[in-house]
Amino acid sequence: MTRATPPLDVLIVEDEPLIAMDIQFMIEDAGHTVLNTAASLREVTALPEAEVPDVAFVDIQLAEGSSGLDVNTLIQERWPNTIIVFVTANPKKIPEDFAGAHGVIAKPFSSHGFTAALQYLQEGVSEPPPVSPQPGSFVASPRFAETWKG
Amino acid sequence: MEQQDDWRLTEALPHQLGRGDPFAAAVRATRMPMIVTDPAQDDNPIVFANAAFQRLTGYSREELIGRNCRILQGPKTSRESVNKVRAAVMAGDDVSVDLLNYRKDGSTFWNALYISPVRDEDGTIRYFFASQMDITSRIDAHSRIARQKDEVEQEVRRRTADLEAALEAQTLLLHEVDHRVKNNMTMIGSILRLQLREMNPEGAGQLRATMQRIDALGTVHRRLYQSEDVTRFDIGAFAATLASDFAQASPGVRILTDLRRAEVSVGHASALGLVVNELLTLMFQRQKDLPAPGEVRVSAHGTPAATVLMLEDRGSRSLLDSDSTGPLSRSLIQRLTAQANATVTFDPIEGGQRVTLTIGREE
Repeated sequence: MTRATPPLDVLIVEDEPLIAMDIQFMIEDAGHTVLNTAASLREVTALPEAEVPDVAFVDIQLAEGSSGLDVNTLIQERWPNTIIVFVTANPKKIPEDFAGAHGVIAKPFSSHGFTAALQYLQEGVSEPPPVSPQPGSFVASPRFAETWKG
Repeated sequence: MEQQDDWRLTEALPHQLGRGDPFAAAVRATRMPMIVTDPAQDDNPIVFANAAFQRLTGYSREELIGRNCRILQGPKTSRESVNKVRAAVMAGDDVSVDLLNYRKDGSTFWNALYISPVRDEDGTIRYFFASQMDITSRIDAHSRIARQKDEVEQEVRRRTADLEAALEAQTLLLHEVDHRVKNNMTMIGSILRLQLREMNPEGAGQLRATMQRIDALGTVHRRLYQSEDVTRFDIGAFAATLASDFAQASPGVRILTDLRRAEVSVGHASALGLVVNELLTLMFQRQKDLPAPGEVRVSAHGTPAATVLMLEDRGSRSLLDSDSTGPLSRSLIQRLTAQANATVTFDPIEGGQRVTLTIGREE
C-alpha cells in the first residue's frame, strides 16, 4: 500500500456548517486540502467516487437523521484506503473496535487540541509511526495503533 | 351418634386390640383421628374408625366400615398426593402427605395423613394404620402468607420497573443535555476561531485569550463526561492535557508530568480549570520569550487536607507573581481561587519558578 504524502486530501462530514468551516480552515492552515464537505449520509453518497480522500473527519450525529457510523461503513466500501477519524461529542457511541475506523477526536476540541491531533495523524498516515507524542485530543483505534508497531 | 358402639368393633378385631386392652381403649378415646384398614379384604376397606375420625369427617362408623378411604377424596384433592399414598400402600411403606379431604357434608379440610403397615410375626401386612390431623388453619396461614408474599413481590417488581424506566429516561436526558452542551461549546469555539481570522493583530490577541478560556472550559466539560465518575474531577490530568495543548503552539517546549490521584469537587471544576488555564498561559508566554525553549513540569497529588497542583517552568530568569498578568487574568485568578477554596503561591526554584495551586478539601 502506498502511503499518502502531505498535503493530505481531506473529506469533512459534519452537519453544523460553522463547525465544518472551522475544521476546514484549521486543516488548510496545516497545509492540507479539503476535497469536499458533506452534512449527511446522502451527501456523502452523492460525492464523486474519483475524488478519493486520504483522511475523512466524520461526525456521528448527522443531518437528515443519518449516522456517521453508516458513513464510516460507506467510506470503507468505497475508499478502502481512507483513514477515518470520528469527530464527535458522543465518543461513547463508537464501538470498541471503532467499526473499522481509525481514531476519534472528542468534541469540544480546542484549537491546539485539533491542530495537535492533525499533526499526529499526518505523521501516522504519511511516515508512521508518529514522532510527536500522542495528544490527549486524539485516540487511535487499537487496530490503527497496531500498524505502527515493529 | 353410634360411635359408642365401636366397643363391639374392637371386640371383633382379633390380636391385641381386644376389649379391655388399655392400648385399644387409648386408640378409641384419643383426640387424634385414627382408622385401621384390612388389605386382605377387597379394596382394602376401613375396619375400624375411632370417634375422633367420625367427628372429623362427619361419617358414622356404619358409613365408614367396609368402605375404602377414597370416600374422603374430592375434585380438588391432589392426584399426585393420592398416587403417592397408593404407591406406598402397594409397596408396604410408611407414607406421610398433606391432602385436601372432603367431609360428608362436602366441606373440605387439610389432612396431615400418616399411614403405616402393621405386620404380623411372619412379616405379612395384616393392617394399615392411619392417623389424621386437621391442619386447615396451618395451610390457610401458609397460603395467606404465600399470597401476601406474591403481592409484595409483584408490587416490588412493578415499582422497580417504574424506577428503572425513570432512571433510563433521566440517563437519556443527561446524555442528550451533555451532547448539546458539548455541541454548543464546539460551536462557540468555532465562531471565535472564525472571527479571529478576520481580526487585526492587536484585537486578535485578546480574542485569542478569550478563545483559550472557552477551550479550557470545553476541555473541563469533555474530561468530566468522559470519565466514569461524573462527581470527581482530576485537576492533574486536566492540567497535563491543557499543557500539551499549549505545547502544540510553542514548539520545542517539553512537558514533563508527575501525576498522582488529585481529585477536586466537580462543582469547582470549571473555576479551577480556568485558573489552571491562566497560570499555564503565563508560563507559556514566558517560554516564548526565551532564546531556547525550556520545559514545563506538571505534578499533582492529593493529601487528606488538600489537592495540590504544581506547575514549574525552567529556563526563564524573570520571576512571576500575581502582578505579571493582565488585570482580567489577575482578577479571574483571585476570584476563582477564592470561590474554589484554593490558594496560589509563586516560588522561585533552581533555574525557574514554581506555581502551586492548593485546593482545600470540602467537608
